[in-house]
Amino acid sequence: MRSDPVDIETLRRAAASKGGLLTDELRRKVWPKLLNVNVYELPHKPGRDVRENHKDYNQVVLDVRRSMKRFPKGMPATERGVLQEQLIDIILEVLKRNPQLHYYQGYHDVAVSLLLVVGERMAIGMLDKLSNYHLRDFMDPTMDSTKHILNYLMPILEQVDAELHDFMIRAEVGTIFALSWLITWFGHVLSEFKHTLRLYDFFLASHPLMPIYLAATIVLHREKEVKQTECDMAMVHHLLSRIPQDLPYELLIGRAQDLFDQYPPSLLAKRAALQSRKSLSISTFKAFQLSTLHQRPDSVLQRLTKAHGSDSSRHGLEAALPHARGQLWGKGNKMVKMAVWGLSATLGAAVIAVAQTAMDWGPEVLLQLF
Amino acid sequence: MESSLEFSSSLGSVSSLMTRCRTFKVLVIGDSGVGKTCLTHRLSAGEFPMRVEATIGVDFRERLLDIDGERIKLQLWDTAGQERFRKSMVQHYYRNVHAVLFIYDVTCPASFRSLTSWIEECRQNSIGREIPRFLIGNKSDLRNACRTDGQVNQEWAMSFAKAHGMMFFETSAKNPPNAQASARLSDGEVPHQQNEVEDIVVAVGAKLKRQKKPSVTSSPTYSGSFKLPNKKRPEKEVWTCC
Repeated sequence: MRSDPVDIETLRRAAASKGGLLTDELRRKVWPKLLNVNVYELPHKPGRDVRENHKDYNQVVLDVRRSMKRFPKGMPATERGVLQEQLIDIILEVLKRNPQLHYYQGYHDVAVSLLLVVGERMAIGMLDKLSNYHLRDFMDPTMDSTKHILNYLMPILEQVDAELHDFMIRAEVGTIFALSWLITWFGHVLSEFKHTLRLYDFFLASHPLMPIYLAATIVLHREKEVKQTECDMAMVHHLLSRIPQDLPYELLIGRAQDLFDQYPPSLLAKRAALQSRKSLSISTFKAFQLSTLHQRPDSVLQRLTKAHGSDSSRHGLEAALPHARGQLWGKGNKMVKMAVWGLSATLGAAVIAVAQTAMDWGPEVLLQLF
Repeated sequence: MESSLEFSSSLGSVSSLMTRCRTFKVLVIGDSGVGKTCLTHRLSAGEFPMRVEATIGVDFRERLLDIDGERIKLQLWDTAGQERFRKSMVQHYYRNVHAVLFIYDVTCPASFRSLTSWIEECRQNSIGREIPRFLIGNKSDLRNACRTDGQVNQEWAMSFAKAHGMMFFETSAKNPPNAQASARLSDGEVPHQQNEVEDIVVAVGAKLKRQKKPSVTSSPTYSGSFKLPNKKRPEKEVWTCC
């Protein structure tokens, strides 16, 4: 992450690779980069006035008060109480900044996952980004767009296991069993926070539809169980709604990535005549991804923030680029070389195969990149 | 039973045969936070769950009941309360519903006012007047005899229920009605109805049991597709229970 621009592709691959980002310390560095959040220009802590005349205040408070399971078991009640107050504030703050967005039950599950790792201010920054990109479709006035996203599930299953797909169609089970998985990024349904974090590493580094691909791998993983259930809406829905807590996450993440590569959203949309143009998350993703490619490393951001405040001169930055890159390249820094190759997308899968995972490197090595 | 046994091969089917009896789908609806999840837990003979989370989507809990010697099963469908969920998501689950429980919070008049929207919702999803409906005021343990504002007047609720052809109950999923408390009424205070959760379950079960047999069974909604023989059919009353 000292490279300029930040080698986002390497970070993405690390986040998606076996073991994910491993430690919260690393997550605090990498997560904002994955979302193009400048850690030196984080939003300020919300004032108490954020709660005044807020149309979603009651619903948010209701949901946050009931979210005790999301906090570490050993945490003292007073500490948890403080965090819950912060949670209410960060949600209301992001909603206030984005009046076009609508709160949904489950949004609080995403917010708390962020808060517990990156703290209040960074959580606001990240949540704001996510709300306008990855979660954007869930925040429409109605849930029609959410349904459009859920509609990708059956076509994925059809490609992989036609028999399972047909069984589920006959049962008329629908896709609501996967609703909470999708809109909370599984945060609502996993009892172990470390698993949630592992998935967040993956989703933050991926296309907004990746949670649906993961949902598909879970259903496929349980295909025997499903096929042995009575072909009845209630029974199949009930079975699938209860997610096993001992899923092989690394395996499923790998499979989800494979499914995504094999059957990308554009292909599914064509085959299943899905109306992907209606999804804001999908249509804005390319632009979002591009924007993450031009991030300055923390050392530069810090310097700029101190020297120039928030108004940085573009000319100055671009002039600095080739020199810095040349130095790093000259040193033969493996990470930088990989990043450049990754960005140029010439080697593609070969690079992924050769690249070591975060687990092999160890967090200490990755941290040195910063 | 024999024909059903022939076709059961997995453990799943066998266990469902063991409890094969008339199954009634009961929808539990109402505003967010009125206590649908807690009530559903209690109605299915569970304990009051101290820590429940926001319900996202839908799922059911089952309750077996013996009514006049017949064992029946209630499938209690707990739903998300936020308006956006009910408008697009819950529709799928309104199909083949046998009874509806409308829940409100007696300490939250807004949740009572929402009932007209919930009733309209049912109407739009083709749940006719012949489907038994029940109005349940929850959190009666939080009633404050000294205050009347900020609480739902029970007489009002009762007449509302009557006007809509619903059976009325007031209860607390958390704390059973306190007989002593109702005895300690102050002057002029009208004793109000308080029901045990268990009584509600029995009333619902009894009402459903009395339904004409054909309307009990789920109508085949899948056309031209493979159906498991142990799907309920009107003419075959082969299920005796366990």
